[in-house]
Amino acid sequence: MSSHLPQKPGRAPAKRLLKAVKPRHPVSLPPSSSRPSRRSTPLWYAVCVPRLQPGHGERGIAQERLQELAALLGQISATVSIQPPDSVVFEVRSSLTYFGGIANIRTRVLALLEPLLASWELESGLQQAVTPTAAASLLLARSGCNLLVYRRDSLRSALGSLPLDALVSSLPPAKAKQRSRQLRNSGLQVMRDLWRLPRQSLARRFGPEFVRQLDVCLGDMPMPVTPHQAAPRFSTTMDFEYAGENSAFLLHAIDELLARLCLYLQQRELAAAHLQFLLRHEHREDTVVAVELRQASRSQSHLALLLETRIQALTLAAPVIGMQLEVQRFDSFRPQSRPVTGLADAAGQADQGAIVQLLEQLQARLGNEAVRSLHCHAEHGPELAGSERTFSGIAGIVGSPAAEAGPLPVATRPCWILGQPSALPPPAFRTLQLLSGPERIETRWWSGQPLHRDYYVARNQQGMRLWIYHERTGERAWYLHGVFD
Amino acid sequence: MPLAGLLTTVNIYSIMPPSSSDPRLQALLSSPHLWRAETPESLPGSPSSAGFAGIASGHALLDAALPWQGWPRSALVEIISPVCGAGELQLVLPLLRTLSEEQQWSIWVAPPMSPYAPGLLGAGVDPARNILVTPTPAQRLWTLEKSLQSPACALVLGWPGLLSGKHIRRLQLAARKGRTLGILFHPRNIRHSASVLRLATHTRGDTLQVQVLKARGSYRKDAFAIRLELP
Repeated sequence: MSSHLPQKPGRAPAKRLLKAVKPRHPVSLPPSSSRPSRRSTPLWYAVCVPRLQPGHGERGIAQERLQELAALLGQISATVSIQPPDSVVFEVRSSLTYFGGIANIRTRVLALLEPLLASWELESGLQQAVTPTAAASLLLARSGCNLLVYRRDSLRSALGSLPLDALVSSLPPAKAKQRSRQLRNSGLQVMRDLWRLPRQSLARRFGPEFVRQLDVCLGDMPMPVTPHQAAPRFSTTMDFEYAGENSAFLLHAIDELLARLCLYLQQRELAAAHLQFLLRHEHREDTVVAVELRQASRSQSHLALLLETRIQALTLAAPVIGMQLEVQRFDSFRPQSRPVTGLADAAGQADQGAIVQLLEQLQARLGNEAVRSLHCHAEHGPELAGSERTFSGIAGIVGSPAAEAGPLPVATRPCWILGQPSALPPPAFRTLQLLSGPERIETRWWSGQPLHRDYYVARNQQGMRLWIYHERTGERAWYLHGVFD
Repeated sequence: MPLAGLLTTVNIYSIMPPSSSDPRLQALLSSPHLWRAETPESLPGSPSSAGFAGIASGHALLDAALPWQGWPRSALVEIISPVCGAGELQLVLPLLRTLSEEQQWSIWVAPPMSPYAPGLLGAGVDPARNILVTPTPAQRLWTLEKSLQSPACALVLGWPGLLSGKHIRRLQLAARKGRTLGILFHPRNIRHSASVLRLATHTRGDTLQVQVLKARGSYRKDAFAIRLELP
């Protein structure tokens, strides 16, 4: 069956309309499958913007733009799926009655997408196709045939005149080249040539994957379609009746906003990974307070504590007339499960949560750099054997301590180290009493900054035991590197 | 049981062997209203009055000199040392070792130099359980107070610089609230400070001389020497 789309008045005639296709050959359906009724066959609308492909822009931009397209098309269909690199498919059978036919849907799609494409300077780049299978729609849309096919029976003839290059374009470039040469050498140019060949020989010559691809296009095999889900986003605002400056007043409002956020998080089983908090002023730029969380959280008291710590350290430029709380990055909520046995473990987990909260609170006030964890590395060079890293979550610390630490240091090492070895002038060196040594360290000759050092333990006049070394090359100067305690 | 009438019994108890089996004496000893001079944390209103023992310090002489047989819990300790890095960390290293074996967290607030992870590892301390916090001088006391108030960490080592008695009082309250042991290293001995334990250290030759200036609830002011060995 087929139908002609009414021409939209005022459209440029150059643009091809979706045209319906009648089956030219009698089609034999597989005997096992009963003929599906019209209502139950899905209808997939594919929209392709070829110039969106990476190469014209970065891959990240193309992905973002596809997500924008998908978000818009969510107005038309409940099932929208992004098909990288350049297409979006969505199911329209279920929306046909609501919108009053495919022509109306098409008008609507164009009305939605054209302003967006114009803003990206891709006005003339839209290709579309509607068929009962998502794979066939994609294939037709990508090769620029603006076709409308209502029934699965008509798919073979609709796809028939498509060049086979369209079929191989989804392969990686090297393989695509090889496959298209293989097809050309076999005398196959368009899809219709494939329909004439027996299945078994196709599978033998081009592999089962190729036959599966054909089956998916014809709807004999289902194609998994991952529906696109818009990224969650939370934003809430509060305007005050009068401007406030007093921190107790602000904290009260923060509690209110956080309560809304936590409700949102609970309903969606999410946890916030960051918070962006805006304080609005009259005739002034907003004050922005951004809080990054090491471990996503949805505990109102914890979030309130972090925000309060930041707000109290803040000097406000002007009275606040409104607030906005925005969260764009979420993490799925992971409740802490406690085993019935092994209570010590459970206590340990609770303890970890508490330490993360404390360290986050310290970071919120002192800055991220001020909270660091200590790490050991299997290195001979003393500077490289120990390091400090900015704290960024408990997993980074406790994750693999044994693997990272390597073997224990072979000789005694001090508990304190100077960031930079400090030079010991000869008068200062003469007051020291050497206790033990030398321990020779020669390493990193491959790095261009080789170490040739003899380390000693010495005691100074205050009784401090020092870790000192002298260079075995160059000026042979003495340096203080650490302090035993 | 009226306590006033039993004061003589208490006096007798103090010279009697503790294994007395007189039921009346046992009943009296288990009374929460009884203040016992030799277990200072049994003061009324203290966080835990029964079965209160300290954390073994790892130094036999220090354990013997302190009424808790080790470091007190939920308390603030001051170690007064004229210079930094002259052996006073030796007092704490066995404690750090115990805590890292128990997988408890220790926080170092504003140390004068960077702790060196291989050195700690060599002394048997897991560096992964030690967090280094370096606030600006103005934020040191705030950081100390917040860390002490948090029940998440077992030990807070702090180098607060100059302190006043008021600050120590506040930090002591924070340590009690968070049930955390806080050890402050600073150079000045403040009289009448509110800390539970105050030690003075200085180095002489191979030894660290330790003097107990104050231990709450005890009148003993022992002085002893700990031999400094390379870790």
